[in-house]
Amino acid sequence: MSRVAPTSGSKLLYFFCVVVSGIFLYIDLNYKSFEGVKNFYQSFIISSSYIFKSVTVEPIKFLYQISKDKSDLINENKKLKLELDNSYILNFIISRDSKFFADDDSIKRFLDINNINEVFHLAKLEYFDSELYMCCNKHRAFIKNYKNDNNFIGSPVINSMGIIGHVIYGDSLSEVLLLTDTDHMMPIMSGNHFCNAKGSGKPGKIICLYNNKIWQEEVSIGQEFFSSGMGGIYPKGILIGKVADIRQVDENFIEFDINLVTSPIISNVVGVLESI
Amino acid sequence: MRNIRAVKLLIIIFILNILESFIAPYLINFYINLPITFLVFSLAIYNSNRNSNPLFAFLCGLYLDLISSSPFGLNAGLFTMMSYVINSYANTFKIFSYIQICVFFAISSIFYIGFKNLFISLENFSYLLLFVSLLFNTLLFLLLAMLRYYFPSMSIKYD
Repeated sequence: MSRVAPTSGSKLLYFFCVVVSGIFLYIDLNYKSFEGVKNFYQSFIISSSYIFKSVTVEPIKFLYQISKDKSDLINENKKLKLELDNSYILNFIISRDSKFFADDDSIKRFLDINNINEVFHLAKLEYFDSELYMCCNKHRAFIKNYKNDNNFIGSPVINSMGIIGHVIYGDSLSEVLLLTDTDHMMPIMSGNHFCNAKGSGKPGKIICLYNNKIWQEEVSIGQEFFSSGMGGIYPKGILIGKVADIRQVDENFIEFDINLVTSPIISNVVGVLESI
Repeated sequence: MRNIRAVKLLIIIFILNILESFIAPYLINFYINLPITFLVFSLAIYNSNRNSNPLFAFLCGLYLDLISSSPFGLNAGLFTMMSYVINSYANTFKIFSYIQICVFFAISSIFYIGFKNLFISLENFSYLLLFVSLLFNTLLFLLLAMLRYYFPSMSIKYD
């Protein structure tokens, strides 16, 4: 269907519209007469977009923000917990400053030469069989370092209370031989009394057997025993535990139990000392 | 676009005005001005199978003046004039080639841009802008016209 060209009547209407447009334009440019209408429209658009946003977008944003905040909080909490564990172990080392850093200069030199930046490496307890720990002789823990996968075979493992064992095997996980394992032997001392303490296979307890003909000084209940540093693994002078029970094995030998000051189950974060 | 209702056209103009305000700041860096609302309105009149009322064009222009914060009457007058030209030459366009129609719309858009600049930003009136826009718009319309050969479903039937 073809379109009809504008008639003279519609031409007049076109002309009229153009003239009205011209008048509007003139009035608007010279007298700003339509500013009120424009401002009203703009304010209407802004308020309606604000209302629309607050009804639709904002609640979704709010929900998203809540979930994000929650996950952020959880992550922050985890981070803080890790920092706290780290500080516990650090405090343990600092509070025994004289034991760990008996010769400050030599240790510092050693650290510099071996490019060691940290005294200990934070590690997480990955696997620990508490049932085996409670019942049997084999007391092992498996830990994983947070920062690096270096093998720390022979390195002492500590927590915020004291020494718990040392690393005997290192791969992706490091196996820790605990003080209470029956295969574990540790030289300890108390004053002039030296003794090789063996793991008892019982939680929190090690056993010391000594010849009373050689070590004539008597051992008393509650006496504190420290690491002697003679084994070449543990630092010297760290409190290991207190004497709990003393037994006469035969004429020459006396055996006593030592209750350890620490336990591997108090924390799932441990520190692996640099093996010096 | 054909037989489009007034309300639909107003909504489309509203959306295109927002789109234009987003695109314009980027295109102006290349001395290009693409009056999308004006062109879409012209296309709607062009594709219509009957003559539109002058008041309709006038009110559409006034509506665009309101939503685009232009001086009242500027778009109203230009839309009315464009509507008159298209309605007058509606039958003549049928014997025009696509290139001629594209050039016609490109020149119309340049007339619109130039006229608008005279009122809104006389200080920044630029012939370079008009020339580059003319080239760009002509090429763009040719490209759009050629699309129907590659996408036949987009083609528009004429009476």
